[in-house]
Amino acid sequence: MAHPRALRRPVFAAAASLALVGSVLLGGCAGSADSSTSDLTGNQLLTIPREDFSTFSRNFNPFSPNALPMTDQAIYEPMLVFNPADNKTTPWLASSWKVASDGRSVTFTLRNGLTWSDGQALTAADVVYTFGLQKKLLGGYTYLAGVKALNTHTILFSFNKPYSPGLYDLGAQVIVPEHIWSTISNPSKYTNPDPVGSGPYTQVEDFTTQSYELKKNPHYWQPAKQHIAGVELLAFDGNDPANLATIAGQTDWADQYIPDIQSTFVDRDPKNRGYWFPPVGSLVNWTMNTTKAPFNDVNVRKALSMAIDRSTITKIGESGYATAADCTGLTGGYDAWRDSSVASSCDWTDYNVAAANKLLDEAGYARGANGIRKLKNGQPFSFTIEVGSASSDWLSVANIIAEELKAVGVEATVKAPNWSVVTSDYADGDYDTGIVWSDDAATPYQFYQGVMSTAMVEPVGTQTTDNYNRFGDSKADTLLSEFAASSTEAGQQKAVDGLQELFSQDAPVVPLFDGPQWGAYNDTRFTGFPTAANPYATLSTRTATAVLVLTTLHPVVSH
Amino acid sequence: MRYLLRNLGFYLIAFWTSLTLDFLMPRMMPGDPVSRMLAQSQGELQPDQVTQLRHLLGLDNRPMWRQYLSFVHDVFTGNLGVSISRFPTPVTQVIGSEIGWTLLLGGTALLIAVIAGNLLGVLAAWRRGGALDSVFPPLLVFVGSFPYFWLAMGALYLFGLTLGWFPLNHAYDVTFTPGFSAGFITNVISHLFLPAVTIVLVSIGGWMLGMRNTMIATEAEDYITMAEAKGLSPRRIMFRYAARNALLPSVTNFGLSLGFVVGGALLTEVVFAYPGLGYQLLSAVQALDYPLMQGIFLTITAAVLAANFLVDLVYVRLDPRVRVR
Repeated sequence: MAHPRALRRPVFAAAASLALVGSVLLGGCAGSADSSTSDLTGNQLLTIPREDFSTFSRNFNPFSPNALPMTDQAIYEPMLVFNPADNKTTPWLASSWKVASDGRSVTFTLRNGLTWSDGQALTAADVVYTFGLQKKLLGGYTYLAGVKALNTHTILFSFNKPYSPGLYDLGAQVIVPEHIWSTISNPSKYTNPDPVGSGPYTQVEDFTTQSYELKKNPHYWQPAKQHIAGVELLAFDGNDPANLATIAGQTDWADQYIPDIQSTFVDRDPKNRGYWFPPVGSLVNWTMNTTKAPFNDVNVRKALSMAIDRSTITKIGESGYATAADCTGLTGGYDAWRDSSVASSCDWTDYNVAAANKLLDEAGYARGANGIRKLKNGQPFSFTIEVGSASSDWLSVANIIAEELKAVGVEATVKAPNWSVVTSDYADGDYDTGIVWSDDAATPYQFYQGVMSTAMVEPVGTQTTDNYNRFGDSKADTLLSEFAASSTEAGQQKAVDGLQELFSQDAPVVPLFDGPQWGAYNDTRFTGFPTAANPYATLSTRTATAVLVLTTLHPVVSH
Repeated sequence: MRYLLRNLGFYLIAFWTSLTLDFLMPRMMPGDPVSRMLAQSQGELQPDQVTQLRHLLGLDNRPMWRQYLSFVHDVFTGNLGVSISRFPTPVTQVIGSEIGWTLLLGGTALLIAVIAGNLLGVLAAWRRGGALDSVFPPLLVFVGSFPYFWLAMGALYLFGLTLGWFPLNHAYDVTFTPGFSAGFITNVISHLFLPAVTIVLVSIGGWMLGMRNTMIATEAEDYITMAEAKGLSPRRIMFRYAARNALLPSVTNFGLSLGFVVGGALLTEVVFAYPGLGYQLLSAVQALDYPLMQGIFLTITAAVLAANFLVDLVYVRLDPRVRVR
């Protein structure tokens, strides 16, 4: 039963809601910050997105595993900064250092005139205190026997064994002020909401769960290098919303993974936007549990390595951004260490299905009636490849490998539970194979130690956090001690040459590709980003070289 | 009164059961938080650092019953512990910093969907067979059955990126400081618009259909015929007699949905980068952050139970038939 009066209410409601929408649109347009060219006053903030922090909790404690971004890059500083892109070391809080000829100690000399952001002086006492606190709270530095301040500006680090890689390890530790941290009763549970640091941007402002700003340190030791007004961090839930903000031009510097970066990001504004993915991340490898047959047979490892096509893997799994590894196991970051004679005679890291089949036949793994090979105990040659489900690119890699192994009569299934389950399996030795990272540091020492040293091998059932392949070669131990003991570059190079040769012989893991260091920039508002042509740092916001970028960038000013 | 007390008793038992489940479930998941952190650090943690970390986070093996007792004690003293994935931020701080936005987004979307859906349902039922009734229920259900993230991403791409009518992310522009100024409030509304509208679109169909069906059943009642015979205006009958009685099932549903608003809208938060508890819960589960997971589950449980209790109270007021026991 229709009645005209009954219609008025909905029409009125519709009109009212239209008016509301209209005012919202206008209000929204007026209120939205236009992050494009209108903001070039010289005081604009360097905007960086973080996809791994869905919201920010105010925690600037450098000893916490969840410290906020830029804590170790803009607020606190280390004694030296090592740049893996060009292998150069920049003295930072320390002006110089001296490694003893027996490799059992290092002496650092701090610069003069260093101050904290509250005006107090930064001295050797702070360095000594920092290392003590770090060891107490988080452990590590097992080679360090003692830290002593020789005077207000010199610190002596004594080791309990010769350890030349210790220089970079110690130099990378961020230094905290003793006069603040010695007053805190429980440093591990302290959130450090208003940090006092030595870095260029220490003053926290406008802290909210979705963003915060870091403004200039009023007592910075290189005020001439504080060109930019400050840094702004934005929180996002994962790659996709962070990528959207980056593509829309809301950020200046981003280092999350952006798929198909050329067409989605760069092509929107090719004059100002760019990316650079130097191969200086850690090596991604196919780790095999060498305590289980047939992976204890080096010929099996080498044959399986020849059965996979690394160029397909990097093209499809990593969008072509990664570089295939060779039989030295060294990533692009260690190019200076690479032994060209070993690298050029690599055979087991080249794609060669015929050779793989031949090697497996010769090793005694004959094919069964259904084409699948059999192990020495009669079981079919099938195993699992474990990888964490959250890493979609590594999951693709595992699937490609499983597919390619069919050509050599081997059956592989990919198992992809949560990363914590996978890591537990690796730690216990309860797995067949997996796609795993490797140790990454300033020198190849930690990498080779992590894959070949007997010192890192634990029996199955005992938890380990390193050497998941549980392979040790005593020859590697000898070479590693030689490296640690040598104080000259020539001596270290000789040891690394030997390690590369040994790696190529033993194939403790199957190297796949080097993890690229993601990084993209937009220089509409800031200029001076590192590029392949000017590799003074990497484009990562999360590693030590970020402070080099922060002190080099200049804001674009339009008048 | 006795009815209320008895209900309260049931609610307390429900609360205690959910408390126990809340404690057990995270611990039944395989893996442990430190392994997860290790995977994330990708080879940068030394072996003795891992042991130290375990000790720091309180993950040494205390017996389960002891953990349970201290958990129950902590809940009743308001100490929800320290989050592992956001160590050392206390859980109450993590939840407290985001619950406001969760309630704003979920509450607004729910209210709009309920009011608009019920209104449309009432009108559709009253003019059954008319244009409104024939077009809207199937249309809204059709729109509602799209996968939500597809709808949300499509809306964001069209209205946010291509047309530029709405902001792309976050709850308000970083240039504003939170406060009760007109500028800030309009900014918050402009950021809230797309997320809320997409949630409303997928949920309104259900409310409309439910209300419409209940209305049709109510219209068949004798007292409606009596009111028409007595000469009351159709609008008065529709709103003051039929709709009021048909509202009762909606009230129950509203109560249930209100409790779950606290759980956050995960997909909305991810697509629109809106701060809230939904994604917080997901990342807590992925990181096996027991205290934070427990804290959020507890908040959801408490909110659902409280909302249900309130609905029970309101229901007694609305429906006299319930009072007579």
